[in-house]
Amino acid sequence: MDKIKKRFTLLNAVVEAMIKQPETIKYPFAAMELPEGFRGAIVFDPDKCSGCGLCVRDCPAEALHINKKSREEYTLLHYPARCAYCGQCEDSCRHGAISHSNKLVGATTHKDDWVLVFKDSKASQE
Amino acid sequence: MDKISIPIGPQHPLLKEPLSMMVDISGEKVLGGSLRLGYVHRGIERLAQQRTYVQNIHLIERICGICSHVHTTTYCYAVEALLGIEIPPRAQYIRALMCELERIHSHLLWLGILAKHIGLDTIFMHTWHDREMVLDIMEEVSGGRISHAANQIGGVRFDLDEEKGEMIRKILIKLHSQVEGLLDVIESEPAAIARTKGVAPISPDLIKAYGVVGPIARASGVDVDMRRDASLPPYDQLEVKVITHSDGDAWARTFVRVEETRVSLNLCETIIREMPRGDVVVHAPRRVPEGEVIIRSEAPRGELFYYLRSDGSDKPARLKVRTPTLAALSLLPVQLSEINVADIPVVLAGVDLCIACADR
Repeated sequence: MDKIKKRFTLLNAVVEAMIKQPETIKYPFAAMELPEGFRGAIVFDPDKCSGCGLCVRDCPAEALHINKKSREEYTLLHYPARCAYCGQCEDSCRHGAISHSNKLVGATTHKDDWVLVFKDSKASQE
Repeated sequence: MDKISIPIGPQHPLLKEPLSMMVDISGEKVLGGSLRLGYVHRGIERLAQQRTYVQNIHLIERICGICSHVHTTTYCYAVEALLGIEIPPRAQYIRALMCELERIHSHLLWLGILAKHIGLDTIFMHTWHDREMVLDIMEEVSGGRISHAANQIGGVRFDLDEEKGEMIRKILIKLHSQVEGLLDVIESEPAAIARTKGVAPISPDLIKAYGVVGPIARASGVDVDMRRDASLPPYDQLEVKVITHSDGDAWARTFVRVEETRVSLNLCETIIREMPRGDVVVHAPRRVPEGEVIIRSEAPRGELFYYLRSDGSDKPARLKVRTPTLAALSLLPVQLSEINVADIPVVLAGVDLCIACADR
């Protein structure tokens, strides 16, 4: 009897599958809910950046680059296509200048989007 | 009858990752086979020597897409052993929780692949649906579905609050009933039994001779589990039930893995219930003192071995990884002899190959 009962285990799942909604969502036409802590597109706050370069040193994918002339004069660049979205830069930054948002990173057709200028100290002084 | 050699792979619908096999057949009987590896070799061990210990966490994570967390956990324990630091107990528990979740989703993924190969597509759909629940938990707590980036040298990156703990517990209860159902199916479904019972049995002597580890060894009655034997924290404080079976055939391998999923689910509940309070990270210096260390842990496919040597700088002098699949692959040509051609998919799926792990 037990064996026969076991053979019908999947029947419940079949009935359940007939009444429930599909698991898939029609992204990008329907909104996709991502968790709060999802490691998505990088958000940068230039005011908090001190130009220490810790994020550049620890980045495993070499997606961050700093052109440093002096302590005050530097440019911080980000290459989104190289980025592994591992969260190491967020972890390494002591001032909370760099963090992940829970937004997905879209593909780009513009060459200009390959390099993002996170901070240009000269431009911010002007 | 004449001997015919058939190439399987490196690109073949039977394989999820590239592996080249030459199978010798005579009529319906398989006489034997040979393997060729290295299609996904990325030189990770060499790359690790050129990167810092911190950067290496994310490199090591990319050795495998299924058992990524256990790789970083073992690596971090190795670095921490050289540094002489002990991570907080709460961090140890979170690491173990992620390892167990990973084992659950790896075994469910594997069961789906086996079911697909033997024609039970319903089981394939259900296991992959259930696996999604585990991936949702991992995404919620760590921020990544596959690359969790949960570890850092000195602890873990995130903490679990009461709300998240409750969320995980609720999903695990649901998953528990699903896994019970799967166990019922593999124990009673005639198609599953007919395709796996008595197929490619491996004797315990052969397992020991080839150094095979993990669920394959346990399905042949070899009682080996690094969670219990190597007692890496916090497994020294947890009771791990080791599942073994004496048959050694494809069905025994299925049974062991599904039972292990059940054990891991119980273990996850215990970990969440008994998780100590406190910090999740301690400060770790960037430079690692000179020395060498060996760390062993239990990945979903068996014993994972890490050797790390430091020369006192911030980059490792040598990192050697020995993955469980490599041993299982060496036994594959033996398993492929004296079986029917139709059983090749069952044998291949039964090994639970992870070529990316083996090739690195």
